[in-house]
Amino acid sequence: MKRGKKKAWFYSMPFLIIVGLMIVVPLLYTVEISFTNMSIYHWKDYQCVGLDNYKKALLAFDSGFLPAFLRTLLWTVSSMALQLIFGFFIAVGLNAKGLKLRRVYKTLLIVPWAMPAYVSILLWRMGIFNTEFGLFNQILKQIGGKPVNFLSTNGMAFISCLVVNLWLGVPYMFTMMDGAMQSIDRNIYESAELDGAGFWKKHFYVTIPQILPILMPVIIMATFTAFKQFDIVYLMTMQTGSKTGADINTVITYVYEKAFITSNYGYSSAVAFIVFLIILVLYKTMNRREFSISEQ
Amino acid sequence: MTGKKIKEKVKLILLNIGFILLSFLTLIPILYAFSISISGSNSIISTEFHILPKTITMDNYITILTERPFGRWFVNSLLLSALTVLLTMLVAVPAAYVFSRMRFVGRKRTLYILLVLNAFPAILSMFAIYRIIKTLNLLNSYMGLVFIYAGSMAIFVFWNMKGYFDSIPEAIEDAARIDGVNDRQLITKIVMPLARPSIIISSVLVVIYVWNEYIFSTVFLSGAEKNTLAVALYSLQATDYTRNWPLFSAAAILTTLPVLILFFLVQKYMVSGLSSGGVKG
Amino acid sequence: MKKKIAMLLSSLLVVSMLSGCGSEATVNTESNVTTTTENQNTQTTEPVNITVWHCADATIADTLQKQVDALAPEIVVTFERKENMSDALKLVGDDPESAPDMFMWAHDKVGTFAQMGILSPITDVLTEDDLADFLPMTLSAGEYQGDKYQLPLYYEALLFLYNKDLMETAPETTDELLELMKNETTADQYVFVEQHSTSYNAAAWIQGFGGYLINENREPGLNLPQTVEAMEYHKQFVSYMPADGEYNTVTTLFTEGKAASTIGGPWLVPGIKEAGIDLGIAPMPVLPNGTSLTPFSGVQGVHVLKHAAETKKEALAEVLKVLGSKEAGVALANAASCAPANSKAYEDASVSENQMIMALKTMADNVVPMPNIPEMDVMWSVTDDLLAAVNKRGENVQTACDAHQKEALEQISAMQ
Repeated sequence: MKRGKKKAWFYSMPFLIIVGLMIVVPLLYTVEISFTNMSIYHWKDYQCVGLDNYKKALLAFDSGFLPAFLRTLLWTVSSMALQLIFGFFIAVGLNAKGLKLRRVYKTLLIVPWAMPAYVSILLWRMGIFNTEFGLFNQILKQIGGKPVNFLSTNGMAFISCLVVNLWLGVPYMFTMMDGAMQSIDRNIYESAELDGAGFWKKHFYVTIPQILPILMPVIIMATFTAFKQFDIVYLMTMQTGSKTGADINTVITYVYEKAFITSNYGYSSAVAFIVFLIILVLYKTMNRREFSISEQ
Repeated sequence: MTGKKIKEKVKLILLNIGFILLSFLTLIPILYAFSISISGSNSIISTEFHILPKTITMDNYITILTERPFGRWFVNSLLLSALTVLLTMLVAVPAAYVFSRMRFVGRKRTLYILLVLNAFPAILSMFAIYRIIKTLNLLNSYMGLVFIYAGSMAIFVFWNMKGYFDSIPEAIEDAARIDGVNDRQLITKIVMPLARPSIIISSVLVVIYVWNEYIFSTVFLSGAEKNTLAVALYSLQATDYTRNWPLFSAAAILTTLPVLILFFLVQKYMVSGLSSGGVKG
Repeated sequence: MKKKIAMLLSSLLVVSMLSGCGSEATVNTESNVTTTTENQNTQTTEPVNITVWHCADATIADTLQKQVDALAPEIVVTFERKENMSDALKLVGDDPESAPDMFMWAHDKVGTFAQMGILSPITDVLTEDDLADFLPMTLSAGEYQGDKYQLPLYYEALLFLYNKDLMETAPETTDELLELMKNETTADQYVFVEQHSTSYNAAAWIQGFGGYLINENREPGLNLPQTVEAMEYHKQFVSYMPADGEYNTVTTLFTEGKAASTIGGPWLVPGIKEAGIDLGIAPMPVLPNGTSLTPFSGVQGVHVLKHAAETKKEALAEVLKVLGSKEAGVALANAASCAPANSKAYEDASVSENQMIMALKTMADNVVPMPNIPEMDVMWSVTDDLLAAVNKRGENVQTACDAHQKEALEQISAMQ
């Protein structure tokens, strides 16, 4: 099946058509809207206004944007690191020889993934972090501590959101890693063990190099997702009518508050496109190598 | 030898304890929801915390299952998930295989585009998606949603599968070919069984996404008879007027349960031919 | 690279040919086509189907559904629950294929949808005579640029609610309330709780001081001296309330008897009564300047979409007359304690004896209808930010007000 360029395109055509139709065309259409004055004032009679929206969009990238941008970088790095570490050790544990309850543990541990995210975030906010009744504060009260307002100061709120993000994201990560580990030929481990490799050596020299190429695209996509983080930060700290007072805006929540609530579609499309370009540039400068890994 | 065995035993016990603890920690918010769902009073939170509420009642579950069209919601979600999995896997798996095994002009560039497309915050293109669905005459139909979902999940599945295919040594296929296996047999007898864990994981990924998705379905579908579980769940808590926490929690648990059962069931089949020496579920 | 840019540009070109700046024409032809077919439908005696989107409580929707069921079989009305309705409407507009014929919503979105050009004035369907019985406040709430876009059904406003077991009489002034809060608030027993950092609720304080979020001239008033004063004054109360002041926290504290009083909407009342609280409803306490707290009022009503008004005018008129009737008002009042917009409904004893409805009615002079201009959309979020900054982050009131006024102005200009 190595030859046959036509065959290759033939088999991947349905996929490319769906992606083209549902992802690429909407993207291009959004770019197109960004050149119009489409808004609630010109909802039907919109026209092309050239680069006006882009000039205006620069307003959204004001002094508040840089902290949000840096915070998002910190968020992306820390949430990816946490997810990868936790995911890896859970997957390794699950693949331990002789673990009979493997299926049970796996099922229990993916529960956070199986529940709709907005429900989980609500549960965390109301049940765990709430100042009056949250589980953490109930425990603090029991041991005689003072209640902590987890979501109202920046540092605390950031950490709280990271915890929720880890909780929501680890099931996906360990499932992927577990799947990848399943593909490793057991003989490699056996020969490594014969060579006297211990736990750390075995995983550092066998498991990681074996699963990394399989997982690289997954990791890159998860990184994009982390960078685009919206619902956790938004629902935890800045839902309309119940803002907690912490300012832990990410890039997306920041531009959402700046642009999207204006219902000015031209303007917000321009902002969205600029964010897209920023992520692209960031991606290009940061990992020139990564792509070649997924390429082998 | 016995010393080694005891050591292994101890290790396993420790590992089990670790997993039990971890599972418990993970489940705290869910247990919380469960405790609300079996409580009689209508509040998500209480000034007096009890792991088990003072009055235990199954009323909320009974209400959801009998007074609400839970069955229809369930069937709708099931139908939507099944169609989406089918379409997504049918388009993405062959493409992933082709991009993993063949080398052709335009391959690299396409791969690059498929990766960076993820950088675009997709929810922003709602308006454009609406226009496309309208043009295709698929408004207010499940097929329209299936296309939207398949569009957003296909790239994920593609990359999962491609990564996995990359890890299967081509030598296995070459050997089979030398044995006189034709293309179709190669796919059905060799490649697919090898890729089974990844196919199952990808399908679960799609099911969970569809099962829990409510933004597109609330906007693109109207009519109570078309509601999915996620939409029904959302409408149970959406506004200040309609908030009923115990009922909502019961619905949330009932929504999550089928996914967990499915996951538990398919795990048996998640063992690849490659790792045959390894653990069997 | 050049090749890529060329590809991008050419695909852009394709997209713009498909949909681009010339889309107006396509939209028009499409709606013309449907117009003719729909007209044919009305001429024959087939039933006219009318869909109404709503996101109200099931009791309210069921009550209204029962009222219009009498019009069958000629006119079949379906009340259809729609989540995220506002977003959905911004997407579908008045596209006959996917938009409803009417929708039910509070009056505060009238400006947005009228400005989009998807609403038809109700006076296109009904005559002025049909509207004679409605309380003037409820009619004017849905008026935008001289046209009435909403048939009002009922209205709501925040009420001062207290637990009679914990508070013998409600305080008459805010100073009295503050004194009580200072002396009697303990670690787990509150005197007064409210959603102090939510715009809708905090507006009662700002408006009581003579300030406003935004006026008719579309000027935000976040740094008016009155607003600043109100924020300063209100801040004293916040320190004796739960810090997060979030809906669930506040409601639970009150329904569990952990808070003696609160300010909340009529929609809380069924839950409070169910919890067995001996509920009292009192007039809003009076501020030091002699004005009582002046909350927003919201008028819930139905809006007619343009495409429906063009094709189903007669049927819509029938439906609107039933929905706005005295009988429907009485039914709503009895089923869900809604304060009817039709003044005739108050002649019915079951309405005039309803304590909550009468409390709302007496308050009617002392409320400010939520602004219905599109600019209000951004004001909700900017004011929330301001409140969080002052009440939760403890920022200097004047500085915060100035900063958020600037923010509001920027966002309003970004809307255009």
